Amino acid sequence: MLDKRRSLADAVATIEDGAVVALGGNTLHRAPVAAVHELVRQGKRGLELVKTAGAYDVDLLCGWGCASAVSAGFVGYESVFGLAPLYRRAVESGLVEAREHACYTVIAGLRAAAQGVPFMPVNALQGSQLPQARDFRTVRDPYTDGEVMAIPAIAPDVALIHVHEADAEGNGRIVGSHFEDALMVRAAKWVILTAERIVDGAQFAQDPERTTIPGFLVDSVVEAPRGAWPTSCAGLYDYDADYLAQFIAAAADEGMLRRFVEEHVLAGAVSPHSPAPSPTVGREGDRPTVLPSPASGRGAGGEGRPEGRW
Amino acid sequence: MIERADTAAQMVVSLARLLRDGETVFFGVASPIPMVAALLARRLHAPNLVILTIAGGVSPLPEHLPASTVDPALLHGARAQVTLTDIFDLSARGRLDTAFLGGVQIDDQGRINMSAIGDFDRPKVRLPGGAGSAAIMPTARRTILWRTRHDPRTFVETLGFVTAAGNVEHVVTPLCVFGRAVGRPGEGVGRRTGGLAAGDADTVNGDVGSAVAGGAGGGLAVESIHASSGADEVRVQTGFAVHVGPETPTTPPPSDAERAALRDLDPENVAATELRGR
Repeated sequence: MLDKRRSLADAVATIEDGAVVALGGNTLHRAPVAAVHELVRQGKRGLELVKTAGAYDVDLLCGWGCASAVSAGFVGYESVFGLAPLYRRAVESGLVEAREHACYTVIAGLRAAAQGVPFMPVNALQGSQLPQARDFRTVRDPYTDGEVMAIPAIAPDVALIHVHEADAEGNGRIVGSHFEDALMVRAAKWVILTAERIVDGAQFAQDPERTTIPGFLVDSVVEAPRGAWPTSCAGLYDYDADYLAQFIAAAADEGMLRRFVEEHVLAGAVSPHSPAPSPTVGREGDRPTVLPSPASGRGAGGEGRPEGRW
Repeated sequence: MIERADTAAQMVVSLARLLRDGETVFFGVASPIPMVAALLARRLHAPNLVILTIAGGVSPLPEHLPASTVDPALLHGARAQVTLTDIFDLSARGRLDTAFLGGVQIDDQGRINMSAIGDFDRPKVRLPGGAGSAAIMPTARRTILWRTRHDPRTFVETLGFVTAAGNVEHVVTPLCVFGRAVGRPGEGVGRRTGGLAAGDADTVNGDVGSAVAGGAGGGLAVESIHASSGADEVRVQTGFAVHVGPETPTTPPPSDAERAALRDLDPENVAATELRGR
């Protein structure tokens, strides 16, 4: 069996400047933040980010000068914290190109890549100015002569995916919402998994249907406890509303942002709530697989709730 | 604070009343008010509502309501799980009944701008993007828009950019409910087939979602004004011409039953988080 375990630094070092990087998760949930922080620490430049709906991951990489383009349907902290200030400023100043998609056309482009075809026909975008703005073109349907919108393939150089459990071979399991991660794994040329923990994969043979990311499609596996923090990881931890609020506040000023990133990202990005490192970290242990119930954790922090009542 | 909760409650019940029992309804990112509305409608008059979310749970029964509307908390109680891809595909093949979508700017045809103010490539303000709206608005059988701001910069004559257009049937705001005639498959308005691009009126197989490319369904008209507002305010705060007067009906305020169900469903008032900073 191939042992694909790597240190986070070694795994991320394989990503070249200018790479097209797909980011798993969705808005405040299960973003591959451990790997994103490592991209920042290694000072990557010129990345094109691919995501259906991004938040902290996209915002930080744009604000720190790592990204030069974003192909996404939505970038923002939802109504929890609103617009993504660093992404917004980077696009408005011309440092980052907003390659706006509908979330469905990101999916269509990834599907085309996964299927080995140059574009994917979609029934979408009628009446939208996105085709003109983004140069999305139509093709003639060879059977009916109709015109069909065609989205070019999006083949990421690398997909960064955070999962709950993986084995050393890269078999990965997600609890709760899967978002478009399995598709990204199939569309990308290289796949780096970060996992809350690495376990003995022999136990996956009991219920292989829960392994939605097959190891043969994965190139590197990194054990990264709390690796989605400050976004959520279903059943394990919620998004960190305090941290995100502080980050967004720091984004208002370049000096504050630099200090914040130096303290929280460049210094090693250890979550303030991290448990002490387990003695079995980095080794295949015989710990039982106890997957958390997907919706048992509180989904949203008590922070940020309004005081008002109905 | 009281006022904000009242506004949220009026918007929630206005959206909930528009949902029909047994239909499929979708809400996406950043959508607390539609989330509460869909869950409320299922409790009150639409027990067989099929609620679809990006988190993937089909018709969940969340223990608590998350402020993020793609939160895995929205898997709780669901008996089946789908992906966002599944939901988009459902809409594309004409099987999504109702979508709740938002818009930073909305014009009198119900078209929306979620992309940019100013030049698209070098914008004055870069907006978050339309998420799924450019795919869903033209293909869902109907779209219901909501917006927590009702002023002339939001309801505009001309959009800075048309992010999405389509089958918008209602718009719910803090001041009023707009209605709009929508063409649906079989009704002869803007009937299109799956996969056909805008501007192509060919029909091959009419059972697939309609695609009114904005405009074919007529303009927005004020259907009712909330009790907390009035005709003058709606006229002044809307950037396009509206016909309102003393004859314009008042939106029924939340009933006792609606209020009670809402208190029980959303005790922490997550719906009102959308009205923060307004």
